[in-house]
Amino acid sequence: MTNDFEVEFIEPGERSARFLVRGVSPAVANGIRRAMVADVPTFSIDTVRFVENSSVMFDEMIGLRLGLVPLSTPIGDFEEGDVVTLALDVEGPATAYSGDLESADAMVQPADENIPIIELKDGQHLEFEADAVLDSGKSHAKHQGGVSVGYRHLQRVEVAGDAGEFEEQEPNILRGVIEEAAAEHADADADATDGDLVATDAFDNDLTNRYPGKEVEVHDVPDAFVFHVETDGSFSVEELVLRAAETLGDRAAELESKVAI
Amino acid sequence: MSYKCSRCKRDVELDEYGGVRCPYCGHRVLLKERAPEIKDVPVE
Repeated sequence: MTNDFEVEFIEPGERSARFLVRGVSPAVANGIRRAMVADVPTFSIDTVRFVENSSVMFDEMIGLRLGLVPLSTPIGDFEEGDVVTLALDVEGPATAYSGDLESADAMVQPADENIPIIELKDGQHLEFEADAVLDSGKSHAKHQGGVSVGYRHLQRVEVAGDAGEFEEQEPNILRGVIEEAAAEHADADADATDGDLVATDAFDNDLTNRYPGKEVEVHDVPDAFVFHVETDGSFSVEELVLRAAETLGDRAAELESKVAI
Repeated sequence: MSYKCSRCKRDVELDEYGGVRCPYCGHRVLLKERAPEIKDVPVE
């Protein structure tokens, strides 16, 4: 593929964002989505050494909860398989939160400080050391950096004519992002211009709210996809997408070199 | 095997002749304590 992609953010955000990519084939769009889910490595707790656990939960259950705590994963400084040790020591009565985890490496920290691990009653004590390993979503879902990643076609809405005068207008539900192609009929939005990108929640996902009394036609815009990406907090959406694209490139290069032999 | 008497809370060592009974207070309910060593748990 020689032509460049055109990327435009619709809803920018640190952990959740929506952006439009033009000039990308469905195969590449899905490749990027899959790479975001399964190929971008993140840190996650993999083994726990319990020194004391007099809480009401078994060690294994606490271990399972710890595995699901997202840990910040800095770019470039670690390789897959690297290990960072975290420790926790909480005595009841108190609740052990993810923020109580103390990391040996300042760059690898719990992404959220307020994830409850377990509530400890009077006299209960939880103390352990845990090893976080950098691995990808392929091996275990706890290593997934991108959670809730998906895309839709960008849709172009055109007004084909007037709806019948005495017809009861039924809701015309559409979800995603539309490309405005009939700005003069968009009654609700006075300063709409053709080519605008409008998220459908702006008009309650109902095209009849935006174009009252009009007959509309909806077409998919070829090779234009609107991605909705959420990360678990290990890194920002931007970093996740960049890393996903990188892994795709790496694998393509690997294939190229193997085919050459 | 080390246990703890549920009545007098003292540590009890059981042998095969003594039967299940606390040697200090005669109570027959003994609780098994968690082993003091560090336990390695894989997260799956």
